[in-house]
Amino acid sequence: MTTQFDKIYHGIAQEVGKFRVAASGMAWKGEESEGVIALPSGDIKWAQWLRVARNFQLRIDMKDRRRETFDGFAREDHDKLAGLMKQHFGVTLEVRDVSFKGWNWGVTDFQGQDLAFLVSNKTSFELPLRQVANSNIAGRTEVSLEFAPSSSGKKPSRSAPDEMVEIRFYVPGTHARQRGSDA
Amino acid sequence: GSSGKEGKGWKRFQSYKGEAALPKEIDNLRIFVDRKAQTIILPVHGFAVPFHISTIKNASKSDEGDFTYLRINFQTPGQLAGKKEDTPFEDPDATFIRSVTYRSPDGHRFDTVCKQITDLKKEVNKREQQKKEMAD
Repeated sequence: MTTQFDKIYHGIAQEVGKFRVAASGMAWKGEESEGVIALPSGDIKWAQWLRVARNFQLRIDMKDRRRETFDGFAREDHDKLAGLMKQHFGVTLEVRDVSFKGWNWGVTDFQGQDLAFLVSNKTSFELPLRQVANSNIAGRTEVSLEFAPSSSGKKPSRSAPDEMVEIRFYVPGTHARQRGSDA
Repeated sequence: GSSGKEGKGWKRFQSYKGEAALPKEIDNLRIFVDRKAQTIILPVHGFAVPFHISTIKNASKSDEGDFTYLRINFQTPGQLAGKKEDTPFEDPDATFIRSVTYRSPDGHRFDTVCKQITDLKKEVNKREQQKKEMAD
């Protein structure tokens, strides 16, 4: 038996598609491109559930360290998905808490290929380190990360999402630690 | 010391109590100014990241080629002669977001967003000022 979810996004792309779950695995198929992302049952390691901009995200970690994310699930889909993960893949759908406090201070944490920013021990956002094009340390307490534009060459449409090109952190804690060493 | 914090004008604030309170408009992965919650919501790699207006110092924009860049500067300690006591938090080793820069091919929209942030900041500052005067 296959369960289908409509209007689901893959990654941060804007194309919607259908997401299907069955005993053999999961798959997303884009409505326009017809592109297919397949997640075979035996390769599924973890499943997480978290609130993102486009409603809820199902995040799947694979045994080969590949990670796929699917946005656009409704809050009410949680129980259904949790049941399917358990039943078909023996995996618990972990709920990940996200902070909406609105604070600009917290803790940075390297989590695999991401740099996570945590506010009161809850995730505020994650930055994929592979997309960092350049980084800089200025005045010992400031770190900047620059991101490569995702759209290569051609000018994006006016309806395109806003693209973050740089973020700067102030890291007062490093000052004392680095004092005396010019490394 | 922790007692000096309130005097610096920092007080506890919170944008949203939970995810259900987030405005619907964030689903297009664009910057959204939620005036009611006094909050700017930034799209960060798929996440919707709110920043209360109290954390924001200013916003500015510039045009370069096909794109308009919007830069948002945040309040951080260490901007005034590096005084650590300005930290509005129990943890002196907290990491602060100091600025973020976005780009868009739609300069008109970034004009509007920049103005909305500046106006909201002014409005809140004015209200704070009035409160202070009333207290005196």
